[in-house]
This record gives sequence, C-alpha cells and structure tokens, in this order.
Amino acid sequence: MKILTEKNLKTFLKSAEADYNVRVPINLHDGTRALGKIDEGSLAIAGGVIPQKITNVFFPQMETILTIDSEKVELPKPSVKPLLVIGFTAQDADCLEFIDRFYSEDYRDDIYFNKRDGAVIVCVSGRCGNDGEFLKIAGEKCDLELICDGQNYLLAAYTDAGKALAENADGANADDSVIQQLQKESDSLPADDLELIQAASKLLLEEKVPEEFWATISDRCIACTSCNLVCPTCTCFDIFDRKTDSKVQRWRMWDSCQLDGFMREASGHNPMGKENIRTRRRIHHKLAADVTRWGQLTCMLCGRCDDVCPTGIGIKAVCREMVDKYGSA
Amino acid sequence: MCNSVVPKTNAHECDGKLYLPFQCKIESVQELTRTEKLFRLSRKDGKPFGHKPGQFMQVSITGIGEAPISVSSSPTRGDYLELGVRKAGTLTNAMHELKSGDEIGLRGPFGTFFDTESMKGKDLLLISGGCGLAPMRALIQYVEDCRKDFGNVTILYGAKSPADVLYQSELEQWQNSDKLSCQVTVDTVSSGTCWDSNVGLITKLIPPLDINADKTVAVIVGPPIMYKFVTLELYPKGLSDKDIIVSLERYMKCGVGKCGHCTIDHLYCCTDGPVFTLDQVASLKGAI
Repeated sequence: MKILTEKNLKTFLKSAEADYNVRVPINLHDGTRALGKIDEGSLAIAGGVIPQKITNVFFPQMETILTIDSEKVELPKPSVKPLLVIGFTAQDADCLEFIDRFYSEDYRDDIYFNKRDGAVIVCVSGRCGNDGEFLKIAGEKCDLELICDGQNYLLAAYTDAGKALAENADGANADDSVIQQLQKESDSLPADDLELIQAASKLLLEEKVPEEFWATISDRCIACTSCNLVCPTCTCFDIFDRKTDSKVQRWRMWDSCQLDGFMREASGHNPMGKENIRTRRRIHHKLAADVTRWGQLTCMLCGRCDDVCPTGIGIKAVCREMVDKYGSA
Repeated sequence: MCNSVVPKTNAHECDGKLYLPFQCKIESVQELTRTEKLFRLSRKDGKPFGHKPGQFMQVSITGIGEAPISVSSSPTRGDYLELGVRKAGTLTNAMHELKSGDEIGLRGPFGTFFDTESMKGKDLLLISGGCGLAPMRALIQYVEDCRKDFGNVTILYGAKSPADVLYQSELEQWQNSDKLSCQVTVDTVSSGTCWDSNVGLITKLIPPLDINADKTVAVIVGPPIMYKFVTLELYPKGLSDKDIIVSLERYMKCGVGKCGHCTIDHLYCCTDGPVFTLDQVASLKGAI
C-alpha cells in the first residue's frame, strides 16, 4: 500500500483526469467545502463529511431526462469519461450502495446509470475528520480509499478499477504497523448512534410511537426541506417540462416529502396534507418502511440532516427523543 | 380468446429507456360529461399496448408534462386503448383541447392489474364511484367478453348527480343485459332533473344484495372516502379483506417506483399497485 503526500495526491488526481471526470472536495472562493473539479478551488480532502448530498454526482438536483424538438426526441447520453469521485465517507458509501440498489431493482433507471456506470468511488477515512474526528475506514465498499494517518494518505485499492488507478500513484510503501494501528482505531469507534436508530426503528415497526409524538416534532418543523436536500439516500423527484423557443426539455428535480404539495393530486386528495403526517413519513420511511421493503435501514448516520436542520429535528435528534420517551426495549 | 390477447406480465416494455414516451394517434374523442372525455388511441408504430384491466399509462403532452391516467378499455376489445379523462389539472386540461387526429405521448402500461385468472369461477361485485368507473369499465368489458369464466356479475355505480354519470349508454346496456346485473345511484338530484333510478349513497345498494361470500370477489374503485364506507357494508355480508380488491389513487410522477410520490408505507402504488387486495393495505396508515 502506497503512502501519498498531499502534493503527490494532487498529482495523482490530475493524472487521472486523462481518463475520468474527477470530482474532489475543494474549498470554493466563498469558503464552502464542496465537490468540484480540481482547479475550481483549493484541495480540501480533510474536513469530514461533505456538507451537501454527496450522491448528487449521480442524482443531481436538476437534470434533463429528455429533449424534444420538432424533429426528434433525444435522451441524455452517458458522458465520454466516467466519474472519479473522491470524498465519500464509509457511511456515504453505504448510502451509495443503497441508492444503486434502489435505482436498479424493478426498473433500472437509465438516467442515473448514465452517470453511475463505470464511476470510481474513492472514500476518505482516518485522522482527517472535522475537528480531529477519526473517520471510519470504509474497506471494500469503495474502489479506492485514502486513509489519513494525520498528515499523509495511505492509498488502499480494492477493485480492479481502483488497483489500475493506484498503480499510477507516486508514493513510498506504507509501514504495515501504521495500517494496523489505523484499522484498530477505526474498529474501536463507538456504535452509539447505530444502536440509537436501531432502537427507534424497532419502536416504529412495533407501532409504539403515538400520533402526538409526531405532532410535537412537526410543530418544530419549518418545512425548509433541508433534511431532504442533504440526505444521500433521499431519491424523490418531480418531473416537469421547460419550454424554450426551439425545444422542450423534460427535467427531473429533487422533491421533498416535507412539502404540502408533495402528494397532492389534481382532485385535491392529499394523503400527506398534514404536517405531522409528513414529519412521520420522513423518519418512518427510512427506519421502518424501507426496513420492510428493502430489509435495511436507509439512514446510514451520515449526520447531514442533524447538522443542517435549523430547528434541531434531524433524524438522530428525533430518534433520541423518541427512544427517551418510549423506551429502547 | 380471453387468454390469448392478455399479456402475461405487467412489465413496461421500454428497451431500458424508462422516461421515453411512445407516440400515439388520437382516433376519436367522445364527450362523456361536462368534465370527462373518452379518448381512443392507437400506437403510431402499430404495436399493441399490452395493457390489462386495472393498469395505468403516463400520458405525455410536450411542453405540458405527464400525468397518470387509468386505462378504460379491455385488451379483449382490440388493439386500441381508451382513456376516460376528467378535466382536473394542467395535463388533463390540455388533453381536453386535443382533437381526433392529434398526437399524444404515452409511457406504460404500468402497475398491477385486476387478476382475472384468480377471479375465474367467482361471483363478481364491481363497485365504482365517480370516475372510478373508468378503470372499472376495462374490467367490466373484459368480463363481458369472457363471460363464461365468471359466476354472477353485479355492477354498482354511484355518481354525484345525473349530469356526472359516465358511460351512460354502456350503463344502460349493462342494466338491460340478462348476463349481468347493474344498478346506478346518484347522491343528489336537483329539481327539474329527469332521473328514474336510485338516489342516495352507493353504500345503500349493498345491504339488499344476496351475496354468496364463499365465492364472491368485490372490486372497489372510487374516490378515497368511498373505500372505508363500502367495506363497512361488505363485512356483514361475510366478505373478508382477502375477498376485496381496491384500486388506489395516488399521483404517480414516474410510474416506475422511483419518484416517491405514490408511496403507501413500504409500498409503491405505481409498481406494487394501484390494484391491491384490501388485506395488503388495510393496516397501512393513510392507505384507505
């Protein structure tokens, strides 16, 4: 396993641009840390979770699903170069694994897989989280991994695509004891939050959470939709047409189940016409409905909704309150 | 004949292009009421639609958008497809402006269907309200065309007023048929309106019926409020949730289980439904 200085890492990523559309955590001019092209800002691999919905590289906020002019209908084409995305945490990799499954089962979503097929996922872990937090090592959930030892990055390759890329990296060989120490630190990370949402999930599945709980939580919701907009496993979208002089484009755009109009029908029937129903859905969907449908929790504890919610009712906060009130048994 | 024309699967055939509509020609437009029209369509590529009673299509008008519309005709009637459309939203308002000969896009057919195979040999109680008769009509046509496959067939239909009654000539034909029974009711009749049939809620038509619970399947399609009260009348007749089939209305934006707008707990109304047995959904919050 090679160990790369930040300078070597940047050279490595620049060389990958020959074959890939590279997206990497950068600091934008306004100070925002986000995924971008290497030259759009200063490299910001360290710093923990990217604040935005990281799966937007494959499921962007808005995208064309077809274009219609007087002559023909055109579908979006896959880009010539696949994506190489750096900056997933281990939890983000879990999110991606789920939405890959979501978009492929039953009907395969060709628009999503136009971007996803052939993409290389690079996780970032180790001693490079926000405020010194240790980020869990992802392992084989990704193609490549940058494991920070506090100063440099160990380059771990797991798949054929990852190994082929890693061969081009310039760095010394890492000492096995360093790798073992980092793995030990990763393995010893607490699992408190996982236990919390598992307990909350159990309460929901056993229908032990009364309606009044959702009323008290929804009273604190301002329907800003931030929770949905940053969540890597939120996949809901609206479809609409945009006209220009020469053509019509059919788009899809992220939608939020926290909005009153989300389910409203032309007849006026609105199955989610009350705020407490919408608040319940946000939590219940990930911790109970998806458990029934997909056999798994679909909150991977990335923490984004808790970080962004202006009124403190992100999923972990709600679960904490739920478990405190209705017990963890 | 019945089996040969009905496709075996409910898969939307799209060659992997989920959101690409195919073009159809509007063969005819018939005004049903002040707010409902019946559109008969044919595919421009000449292929069959491959639909089954109970399924829906995503109707697409360039520059306006898409909306889910139930199929109103049975595949046993030929290669055409009919959509009974109430003028209610942006897409359906635009659709009502279209004329015979115009083109329109469709995706689908989508969703589950009335399982006519498992209904074979059973008595059918087909209950619809308002424009719920649109998808029910597809099933009624199928049953008419394969009449020997089924036992007694009873159709109950309720509308708000005489002016809102859909498919009036067909209702009259079903009422006069000796192969099935059909009753129509309206909620109210304003003074000066000619109406010589039942007046009152559709639930009133159920208690007098003689139902053999051991061999009856009830199918309900109507406005959301109707399901709860109709089922309350069916239970005393001995029917259980397994004997009751419902078609639920939600706003499916994609039709393929991706956009999330039609979820009912863990189910997607567009792919797991819209046709459910009541026992699949009765315990799910907000389903009925």
